[in-house]
Amino acid sequence: MTTGLQRRMNLKSDLNDSELLRLMLAGDEEALSVLYRRRQGGIYRFALQMSGSKPIAEDVTQEVFLFLMREGQVFDPSKGTVSAFLFGVARNHVLRRLRVEQALAPLGDDSDDDASFSHPSTDMCPLEDLTRAETIDSVRKAVLSLPAKYREVIVLCELQEVSYGETAEILGCAIGTVRSRLHRARALLLAKLRPATAVEETGSATVKSARCFA
Amino acid sequence: MNCEKFESMVSDLARGRLMAVKQLGDARAHGESCDACAARLRDERMLTRGLQSLAADMETLEAPHAVETTLLEAFRARAVVVPVAKGQSSSRPSSRYWLAAVAAMLLIAISLVVFRWSNRPADEPRQAVKQEQPQPKPEVRDKSNEQLVQAVEKTAGDALPQRPKPKRVRPVSLRRPDSASVANHVTKEIATDFIPLSYMSAASLQDGGQIVRVQLPRSALANFGLPVNMDRYNEKVKADVLYGVDGMARAIRFVQ
Repeated sequence: MTTGLQRRMNLKSDLNDSELLRLMLAGDEEALSVLYRRRQGGIYRFALQMSGSKPIAEDVTQEVFLFLMREGQVFDPSKGTVSAFLFGVARNHVLRRLRVEQALAPLGDDSDDDASFSHPSTDMCPLEDLTRAETIDSVRKAVLSLPAKYREVIVLCELQEVSYGETAEILGCAIGTVRSRLHRARALLLAKLRPATAVEETGSATVKSARCFA
Repeated sequence: MNCEKFESMVSDLARGRLMAVKQLGDARAHGESCDACAARLRDERMLTRGLQSLAADMETLEAPHAVETTLLEAFRARAVVVPVAKGQSSSRPSSRYWLAAVAAMLLIAISLVVFRWSNRPADEPRQAVKQEQPQPKPEVRDKSNEQLVQAVEKTAGDALPQRPKPKRVRPVSLRRPDSASVANHVTKEIATDFIPLSYMSAASLQDGGQIVRVQLPRSALANFGLPVNMDRYNEKVKADVLYGVDGMARAIRFVQ
């Protein structure tokens, strides 16, 4: 019985996401299982990287696939991939949850977040000197402290390695907008990760282009 | 290349994205000649490494198995509760609309055919009747029948220009209006139901009888409670008189 089920799931694992979705909507539980196992990791990590909360990430993952079960027929293959569709649904759920969380327990402003990033030495760059674990932790906190519209492009393009085109589909904007937001988001990240003295010395990324024109 | 141009592509340069060879060479050359831009590139590369480390660190993270279990339970529950909605073309609502549209079109078409059929001009069936009418059969035109026809004509208005000739000699049941109407459709005539001319039991008609086609003044319609078009008051109207086996006129119907 289990072997037969495993064999059928292996056969379905060769199908693409659209075919799996079609089968799932027709009542095929194995198709749902295969599609879930293929896509849940990315959705879960996206929600976790966006929210910084495992419970929210779990809830969002569940909500995304429940939505797919209920409203999967709204997916239009001509508008993008199933993966982009799922990321788009996940993004909406994450942003909604964050708004609720923010209303219930207001967060401090960016300056407070910056203060929470304690660097061992103000005159040493953490990207160079901290251990790998510390670096990862610093980067994670810096990403979480970004405004949502910059955080989502960093998460999608840098952490999830989604293409610019697909990111534009997910966010519902032009590719050029994705590129400019990513550029700005990286500059903000650098500013957050660089010691305050270094920031003052070098200035922000937006004014850096005016430093020299060699 | 200047610093502004370098700044616009420093992210792609640090992330190792594909770019034109000439652009790449120019950017590298500028990075070597400009200390600030070299530092900027170094920072970007460090940031890229940090983000890659974060991505690698989280790469193995997945939703707990309980989420999948919950989803599968929800899927099964949904399958039990609404199997019809899922089995049907809920993913293709447009097909249902098409089906409804085709059904509506069929209904309209059938209604039009029936309407046009019911409004056919009276000339066409009259010709058909003329073609159908056989030579009068002498054995039908016995005395008793003629007398009965005369009686009916008297009742209808005493104004028949021509004596009608018997049309058919076959038994007809009064209790079969459906078959009568079917016959009317075949001959392209429209007729009313048979109207009894005397008090009698329907069982007495089961033995059969004869139908005789006659022409009556249109005013005769009023005698049977039917509406009369006053503009065509003086015109004739065709009628079928049903005789019983005893030779008595039993019923009449008007034909168009």
